[in-house]
Amino acid sequence: MSDKDQENPEITKIKDFVKDGRIDDAVKIIALYLGDSTQDDYTERLEDIIEMLLLLHGGQTVLRFLIEQLVIDIPSLLENLSKRDSVLRYNFLLLVKTMCEQECSILLPYSEDLLSSEDPNVREAVLQLIIFMAGGENKIDDESLIGKISNTLTDEKEFVVEKAVQALQVIGRNNPSLVTKIITLKVKEYPENDELKNVVDIVLKSIVTVEKIDELVEDSEKKEITDKDLIEKEEAEIIDKELELKKKEIEIKKKKLELEEKEKEIEKKIIQEKEKTLKLKEEIIEQESKEESDLVQISDEIPKKVKKKLMKEEFEILDKEILLKKKDLEIKKKKLELEFKEREIEELAITEKEKNLKLKEELIEKESELSQVEIELQKKKIEEKERKILEGELERAKEKIENLEKESEDGED
Amino acid sequence: MPLEQNHIANFLKDKDNSNPRYKSELFNLLRDRIDELCEICSKDRIRNVLNPMCHHRFLLGLRLLNGLGIEDQPEFCYDVHKDIVFRDFRNKTVIYKPNDAYLYLIDFFDNFFHGGYRRLNLLFAKKDFKVVKKIFDDRINNRDENFQYKLTDDENFMVFKYDEKIHVIFINENYALCNATREYVKDLELLFGLCKLFARIYFPEIKLKLIPNNCIEIKTIIPKETLQKISSTEPTDEDSKRDKYIWNVFPSELDTLSQFSNEINIYLDKKKDLAIRLHIGIESEAILNRPKRFLLRYRDLRLVFNIIYRLYNDFYILHI
Repeated sequence: MSDKDQENPEITKIKDFVKDGRIDDAVKIIALYLGDSTQDDYTERLEDIIEMLLLLHGGQTVLRFLIEQLVIDIPSLLENLSKRDSVLRYNFLLLVKTMCEQECSILLPYSEDLLSSEDPNVREAVLQLIIFMAGGENKIDDESLIGKISNTLTDEKEFVVEKAVQALQVIGRNNPSLVTKIITLKVKEYPENDELKNVVDIVLKSIVTVEKIDELVEDSEKKEITDKDLIEKEEAEIIDKELELKKKEIEIKKKKLELEEKEKEIEKKIIQEKEKTLKLKEEIIEQESKEESDLVQISDEIPKKVKKKLMKEEFEILDKEILLKKKDLEIKKKKLELEFKEREIEELAITEKEKNLKLKEELIEKESELSQVEIELQKKKIEEKERKILEGELERAKEKIENLEKESEDGED
Repeated sequence: MPLEQNHIANFLKDKDNSNPRYKSELFNLLRDRIDELCEICSKDRIRNVLNPMCHHRFLLGLRLLNGLGIEDQPEFCYDVHKDIVFRDFRNKTVIYKPNDAYLYLIDFFDNFFHGGYRRLNLLFAKKDFKVVKKIFDDRINNRDENFQYKLTDDENFMVFKYDEKIHVIFINENYALCNATREYVKDLELLFGLCKLFARIYFPEIKLKLIPNNCIEIKTIIPKETLQKISSTEPTDEDSKRDKYIWNVFPSELDTLSQFSNEINIYLDKKKDLAIRLHIGIESEAILNRPKRFLLRYRDLRLVFNIIYRLYNDFYILHI
């Protein structure tokens, strides 16, 4: 041990704790010791700790505790160690070997991210840890992780490729079919990469043995079967989707037709309404002409009937207008539904139609307003005429009464 | 019976019967195997660091000692080798003790004198040792760096002593031997330099003399007064340590000294002091048809110096 360590009371204390089996206390002091470090001396302190643990019986246990309790974070530790000399880094890897073999769950979660590290030393270190893990009690069958490892077969650093080959060889011993599948796919991705082909050859040669050929063939047959099933399923799904699409298209067409029909109906109704209003106008004009021709014989009953008719007609028009508005709202709703279904392309057509419909509605409204105004005008005219007639009759009646009174006075005289 | 090492050794030794072409073929086989081995070893860096395929990376030294440059070395392996020397120097954990580790001079300076190592390399290339000495003295006196150094008389070597470790710079060859232990001391000038360095630190009053092309003479004495105090009979438990040493240990140490000396003389000089004169050489005497061979390893030299230091410290200094 270095003189520096001997002078360091904290390191001595940690050593004593580990020697006495007080692992928890040792971990706490290490946490404090690392926690007190500055950015500059953190790596120094970390190195001291690793150095000390390397030499101590029970150092592995302490390290496991440190990792479990997140005092030491594996990714940052590997990055820090990659800045130091290789001796320390690889010694650390040896220190965690047993841990990797027995409890790979502590280190495995970091693997995928670390394989993407920019530092080739880190990539290499992770691959070494994966080798330890795969060589231990646990089986690595994570397709995504194996895929990431196979990506490092094309790494720019030869030593990383070497480690990737070793890692795939170790994983492939327990899982030859999966590794074979992934690395052959990798070769297909880069058909012109001869170096990749060579390293894949090396991996395959070490994985494929006489004993494992049957397993691989069975797997490939299963894969073929499953592939066929998958294709059939996919085809069926595609057909279903096509049918659904066709159904939707038909529905859209139906709705379009319905809309057109409704539009036609509305137009018909508008025409009918116009016809009715025209008839009413004609009737009113006829009545006026009759009234003019038979001024003397006009009785009180005629204007009353006309009034009643007008009133009825007004109510009917109002009801129809409400109905029309309701129908318009329904059309709008359906249009909105259609808008969702017909998507962007059909939206334009619908908006145009909407505009047309709106224009028509406005026209209808304006026409109805006009007709109301006309009716009111007619009413007023009729009322004036009635007044005139009444006034004339009253005058006539007065005159008749006066005449009768004069005649009676003359008779008395 | 399979082919064994000694069969190949016999084949190579046999000057009369062996066809030189076969020897060449054998060497080519060996060379190809070395190249292949280094390639395989360097590919797997973790194995290279933790368990290199050649013992303590001696193949690096093989290339370096034969004048090959750093570009001819397996890069990663050499870097690790340098790191291991550095870690050992800093008392950090190492996979193995990097004894007798050869480094290119610039890397030696980088490890041991990091600040300004390029300048030192340049100064050594120019053999500007005045400036070099200034730099080293400054480091020793002002920067608390704990080392001693000695430039040999003909300026072919510089030896360093860091605690118990000896490093040697081979100036003309442009490399350095770190933690010299089992390697042989192959040059008399270097041996004299080492003797001078150790004498300066541990036994400054002991006389050293270079006998050119032959050996180094080291002469120490046990003063008459001290001799007279030593018991004339075998010491009992209550007697002094010096008596015990002379009676029990001294004979075996003389035996040891004789192993590493060409000549050893013990006599009473004119002052009646017991003089012990050693002639330490680097090669054994040629006996009959046997060729000369190197005799002295660095670790042996340390043993010799330890004995001399004890005699000097226990019997000479204390007396004075």
